[in-house]
Amino acid sequence: MFFWLLILVLLVYLLFPFYWAFISALKTQAELIKTPATLWPDNPVLTNFKAVLGNDRFVRALGVSTLVASSVTLLSLIVGSFAGYALGKMRFAGRSASLYVILAMTMFPQIAVLAGLYAVIRLLGMPAVPSMILSYMLFTLPFTVWVLTSFFRGLPDSLLQAAQVDGATLIQAFRYVLLPLTAPALVTTGLLAFIQAWNEYLFALTFTVIDPPARTVPVAIALFTGEIARQEPFGEIMAAAVIVTIPLVALVLIFQQRIVAGLTAGAVKG
Amino acid sequence: MSDANEASARRPASGPHATGGDDDARERPAKRRISQLLRQERRTAYFLLLPTFIVLAVIAAYPFGQVVYSSLTNAKFASSQPTSFIGLENYRTLLAFTIRELPAQLDEAGQPVVLNGKVQYVSAVSILPRSPTRYRQVFQFSLFGKRYVLGAISADFVRSVWDTVVFTVVAVAFETVLGMIIALTLASRFRGRGAMRAAMLVPWAVITVVSARIWEWMLQPTRAGLFNTVGSYLGLSDGRTDFFGNPALQLPSMIMMDVWKTTPFMALLLLAGLATIPAEFTEAAKVDGAGPLKRFFRITLPLLTPTLAVALIFRTLDSLRVFDIFQVVLGNQRYSMASFAQDMLISRRDMGLSSAASVTIFVIIFVFALLYVRSMKVDTQ
Repeated sequence: MFFWLLILVLLVYLLFPFYWAFISALKTQAELIKTPATLWPDNPVLTNFKAVLGNDRFVRALGVSTLVASSVTLLSLIVGSFAGYALGKMRFAGRSASLYVILAMTMFPQIAVLAGLYAVIRLLGMPAVPSMILSYMLFTLPFTVWVLTSFFRGLPDSLLQAAQVDGATLIQAFRYVLLPLTAPALVTTGLLAFIQAWNEYLFALTFTVIDPPARTVPVAIALFTGEIARQEPFGEIMAAAVIVTIPLVALVLIFQQRIVAGLTAGAVKG
Repeated sequence: MSDANEASARRPASGPHATGGDDDARERPAKRRISQLLRQERRTAYFLLLPTFIVLAVIAAYPFGQVVYSSLTNAKFASSQPTSFIGLENYRTLLAFTIRELPAQLDEAGQPVVLNGKVQYVSAVSILPRSPTRYRQVFQFSLFGKRYVLGAISADFVRSVWDTVVFTVVAVAFETVLGMIIALTLASRFRGRGAMRAAMLVPWAVITVVSARIWEWMLQPTRAGLFNTVGSYLGLSDGRTDFFGNPALQLPSMIMMDVWKTTPFMALLLLAGLATIPAEFTEAAKVDGAGPLKRFFRITLPLLTPTLAVALIFRTLDSLRVFDIFQVVLGNQRYSMASFAQDMLISRRDMGLSSAASVTIFVIIFVFALLYVRSMKVDTQ
């Protein structure tokens, strides 16, 4: 009995903020400023949702975020799988040193490079979107390399040796034999990288403060000015929050086993 | 294929034309072939690692070097003003602090002034140094019956360091304890367990900025906000609690937001760790008559220590870097270390000072990481 009560409390704790965001999005502006707040809208309306979807800046932000996150994920997987293969399967001087450096990089604080990164970007004359794609690799690449290294290491050496006996070069063995086998790990790390890239705020805020069309979703939501109300239009902000959250949550729920496995891979020493 | 050709080019070196001892002659070309392959492997490895290290050099190594250099200049952000080298001046501005005693106010008879039962102290502004640079109050505290004030030139930064450390310690403590309780609850088999685990991923899946906005809305300072409505209904507050304007409530609000978002992640990590503990241990203890609490502290917890240690390290280092929730909700009212550095760069355009802050943050995090790793090594010994 006590157990189920605990479960119920936990469920409410986890999910109530969404419920609140959802019903707030359904309330009219007049009802939102009414006190005390109501647990269900007296008069549910879809105006907030319509306004948000008609908000050009927000819709563009959705596109920018998707573009940036996809590009970062793709690049990280390509570069990361090369490095993972080398670090996981080959012998060479500096291997363990490289691994330590990469592990250290997973804990590297973004704020430590902010000013310098901005200087590099101005030096190279890069527009905001490519800058973000490149910068995000700061946190996606080390993690991807780390996970893929341990995955490659787990693949049996005999596969590689058999391919080499058949006359394949190391690169050909990689492309035709080992890489297909790493598909599950690629999906997992790809998902995690994608979600991390969607979530990123510090770099995006700094790089797009002066470049509104290049803003990503977190920046758009943080700096949201509404279509209907101007001052802190929380109805619309909540509608935007719901619109952005549902696909992400769906994605995470569909791939939850992979994601949990990927997240715990680093933590639990198997 | 290149190595096949090279290998066949070597074959004539063995067999009847070889010189020296038979075995030796057969080994030499084989050894040469092996070292040839090893060299190829090394070359391929370096080639494969090159993109990674180029990327890291461009976005991490060079920018960090640039930041360290900037911290020693008076550079301004995005301006054509000439910058000059000023050595450790930025660090002095950033980190200089002082602790002064605050004497009690005295009345004409030379006795301390007491108001409402509390001794009145001299104002901090009159005690803290004002020239050549002004020291501003960070906070006051009492020790052994005397009152002191901690002042600093960059009061905002020193306060942000303190706030961030407090935030980290409290938030991580809550997340670990709550995460542990949730993990233990979910470790047992029950109907709907899969759905529960799925629900736990939901806060993690939400974008941090979005979560911050939702909580900002729930914590509105009027009864339009959920917390004030419930609070006034339960008689706990007057319905006008200003969670973000009241300095005493700012950190607790931040902690509450962070705990909500991250506890499920901690719970999942701990759950995975619990799964690695063989059931026989706890079963044997149960047979021996050990109660659940004893089982937890004597068996489960010690076996969970490696997972716990790693989870704690990651969470602590993450918390020290907190930026999103502070910047979105508190803006320049109250800083975390990272939001201070960013604000200094973008709003105040002081690149030198911001860089010094960045380097300081890096050092603090590095020290914490080192301490953790060392204590973890000691534990697993």
